[in-house]
Amino acid sequence: MRFAFRALPAAGGGALTPRPVVDIALDGLPDAPMGCLLDTSALRTRMSAELAPLAGIELSGVLTEEFYVGGLKTAGSLARVGLTVADGTDEFSWDAPVWFCDPWPHPFGLAGLEGFLHYFLVTIRAYDGYLDIEPQP
Amino acid sequence: MPTMTVSGHQYDLDRQSVEAALERALPEPIQEHFVVINGRRWPPKQALALVTGLDRADFTTHQARRALTRLGFTAARAAHPSAHHRGGSPAAPVRPAVSGTAGRPESLVEALRPFIGLWVAIRGDEVLVAAPSAKEIVAWLAQHRQCAQSMFRVPDSEQAITGAAPQ
Repeated sequence: MRFAFRALPAAGGGALTPRPVVDIALDGLPDAPMGCLLDTSALRTRMSAELAPLAGIELSGVLTEEFYVGGLKTAGSLARVGLTVADGTDEFSWDAPVWFCDPWPHPFGLAGLEGFLHYFLVTIRAYDGYLDIEPQP
Repeated sequence: MPTMTVSGHQYDLDRQSVEAALERALPEPIQEHFVVINGRRWPPKQALALVTGLDRADFTTHQARRALTRLGFTAARAAHPSAHHRGGSPAAPVRPAVSGTAGRPESLVEALRPFIGLWVAIRGDEVLVAAPSAKEIVAWLAQHRQCAQSMFRVPDSEQAITGAAPQ
């Protein structure tokens, strides 16, 4: 599956440097895949805790951890959830640990090792402005 | 403030009063015609119904379009009328043929520009809806039976993206 780098506007005019983003749908939210920055240095896959109740994911009593992202202290709650990526032609679903974080003021989720990279062969072609992901057995 | 007659009723409307009336509402999916108000595309009938309180059955799309263009709003016809409703088919939701930008990357950049700082749902280089929270986006998609390609908040700075890298 191929994902073009996401082009975004800059507040002062022009455009930000396009970023590698994959759209990952949570079970329960199939029509609103969350844009997630591909983050090869991140151990966890993280999304806003705001999404959990929208997808019917229960977070009370689950394992939590506190950490810093971008200098901001936040708390993540762990849930193992069904995830899906699709490119319009192909689709792949898997179960993986996702940390739902509050607060999460960041514009995207983060697709890290656990939860995403461990499940795919990922080829980043920044020069050409896209990435390919191939599900691994 | 200009006075106009819609469906036999007279209204004092100007550009500012229309913009104010739509400030807290979300536009419905565009079928064919739209007007641009507050940087968003609105179905003309929805916009005029919200502004006047009239039932949409009381006027036509063309009457709404004419009334709003007289107030100085731009009106146009969608290049690709919405074709991603899920209601008419038992099949799975239609998804975009290519993940990423369907057209030129600049098209998406310009489509997103009015929504910096807001959550958006996009499909190709079309912004389906923009709202202050993910909850409103998800509710809108469900209400209008739309399937987005991606949902995210349009970053308000380069730092908003790079700042998300783990420390």
